[in-house]
Amino acid sequence: MTSATTLDRSAGAAGSGPVLDARGVHKSFGHLEVLQGIDLQIAKGETVVILGPSGSGKSTFLRCINLLETLDAGRIQVGGRDVGYEVRKGRLHELAPAELARRRADIGMVFQHFNLFPHLNVLQNIIEGPVGVRGQNRAEAIRTAQSLLERVGLSGREKSYPRQLSGGQQQRVAIARALAMQPQLMLFDEPTSALDPELVGEVLATMRDLANEGLTMAVVTHEISFAREAADRVVFMDKGVIVEQGPPAQVLDNPQHERTKAFLARFL
Amino acid sequence: MTVTATTGSQQAVTQDPPELDVKDASRRPHPWRWIGAGVVLVLLAMLVNMLITNENFEWDVVFAWLTAESIMKGLGVTLLLTVIAMVIGIVLGVLLAVCRLSANPLLSSTANAYIWFFRGTPTLVQLIFFYNLSALMPEISLGIPFGPEFVVFETNTLITPMLAAILGLGLNEGAYMAEIVRGGLLSVDHGQREAGAAIGMTDRRIMRRIVLPQAMRFIVPPTGNQVISMVKATALVSVIALADLLYTVQAIYNRTFETIPMLIVACVWYLIITSILYVVQSRIENHYSRGDRHQRTSFWDFLRIRPKGRPTPPAVTEGVTA
Repeated sequence: MTSATTLDRSAGAAGSGPVLDARGVHKSFGHLEVLQGIDLQIAKGETVVILGPSGSGKSTFLRCINLLETLDAGRIQVGGRDVGYEVRKGRLHELAPAELARRRADIGMVFQHFNLFPHLNVLQNIIEGPVGVRGQNRAEAIRTAQSLLERVGLSGREKSYPRQLSGGQQQRVAIARALAMQPQLMLFDEPTSALDPELVGEVLATMRDLANEGLTMAVVTHEISFAREAADRVVFMDKGVIVEQGPPAQVLDNPQHERTKAFLARFL
Repeated sequence: MTVTATTGSQQAVTQDPPELDVKDASRRPHPWRWIGAGVVLVLLAMLVNMLITNENFEWDVVFAWLTAESIMKGLGVTLLLTVIAMVIGIVLGVLLAVCRLSANPLLSSTANAYIWFFRGTPTLVQLIFFYNLSALMPEISLGIPFGPEFVVFETNTLITPMLAAILGLGLNEGAYMAEIVRGGLLSVDHGQREAGAAIGMTDRRIMRRIVLPQAMRFIVPPTGNQVISMVKATALVSVIALADLLYTVQAIYNRTFETIPMLIVACVWYLIITSILYVVQSRIENHYSRGDRHQRTSFWDFLRIRPKGRPTPPAVTEGVTA
């Protein structure tokens, strides 16, 4: 609630359509078809948690959204625009790298292993995108970065280097770094899987706040409790397809599909 | 230090007196360390004795020539050649490393072949090869490939000893630098590029702002080693009649027959340059490797001599539970 400014932007380009619109997404690695036709829409302000066993393709799908992996077939639009392509004369054309980079900047991503830049301090990590990529005024970017740090509970750590922080703190800095680009959509790729158990809570708490503030989020995680408390919708994936989806109460407490039941049984 | 008898109810776990402490333990003697040190000292004494008493060193000749003008000129050529060859080597090394890591198989295999050739043949042979380039290509021309020529040079006049030396050492160094740069680039975790891409950085920007600064930790220290090696490698150019430090002293002793003192003049200068570079190098290395430093034992500690009767630290009395 504190910094509404960072969330305003999600309204802009999206208009009234869904923020994420993925249709028939296919992806293979060699002979292994990891994604076998994924359809998923995420509305503005919605938090979608994607669950599924390892190897179900959920991380790959997330990485296809900002084109860290190219898709083999299908179409993914964010805010009504294709991420890596543009339509010319009724056909899709691959974008120039600079334009692709610009569109990626509208999609925030938080990685399992944080991937903070170890040679830059916390503040430099956060303003690298706004200043270096968007050409924002430095003083303004620092102000924004400081309010973001306050929001993730790390005020005063501007000058620390990533290695001086705990895993949970690093991940919260990574969240702040992604938020600094004022993304329309935030992707979380197993954000707590690399953390010590006692540090998971602080990251999930930060993410819950973001969900409550109305950020549009797609979260791949194994934290069922987070899905229950923060998700507007839970999507269960297995073997490259979406098996079932719906409100957390429905999918988690009353799963319809055998594979969902078998997966959830392991967490009871 | 007597054994205090244990009272009936409190049974000691062991029979050792409670005040035993490893800090008072007698140290195991190491006779071989003493013998080794003795042998080395004798050999050192023999060396010093020879340096002083052997008149063939002709130290007066060494000092007379040490700062002679011709020697200074040769030293200048050696230093100039080191700098130019290293600059070419580094630029070429970065290009080759990028080519080798490129997704384009033609680029990467060409870079591979280059590195294979220049690392697989002796530097000396490459130097002589470039010096004799005119035998292979009598003329070198600039123009459109397979088309008209604009300028034609006669190879014999174009390739001076200096140019042959620069080409030979620089192209050779490029192959070694390529491997160093490649290792540095590969040492940066792939997640770093992804994180850069995710905040909208272009590949060039990721390379410049994220990958290279991190790769430098792995590139700079071995590059320092290469510079030191290059100083010594330049001595090879004396075979193609380039008047570097070694060639200059050779020219002098061929005339005066003061072979040993002149070679010592050359050695002194090589040692001075490399010593300066070693100091710079270790400064750089310390800068890039903070933490995990080895603690060195002193020579006396190595021989296990320790001042007796060192004051014992105050005994721990608090917090001891029965």
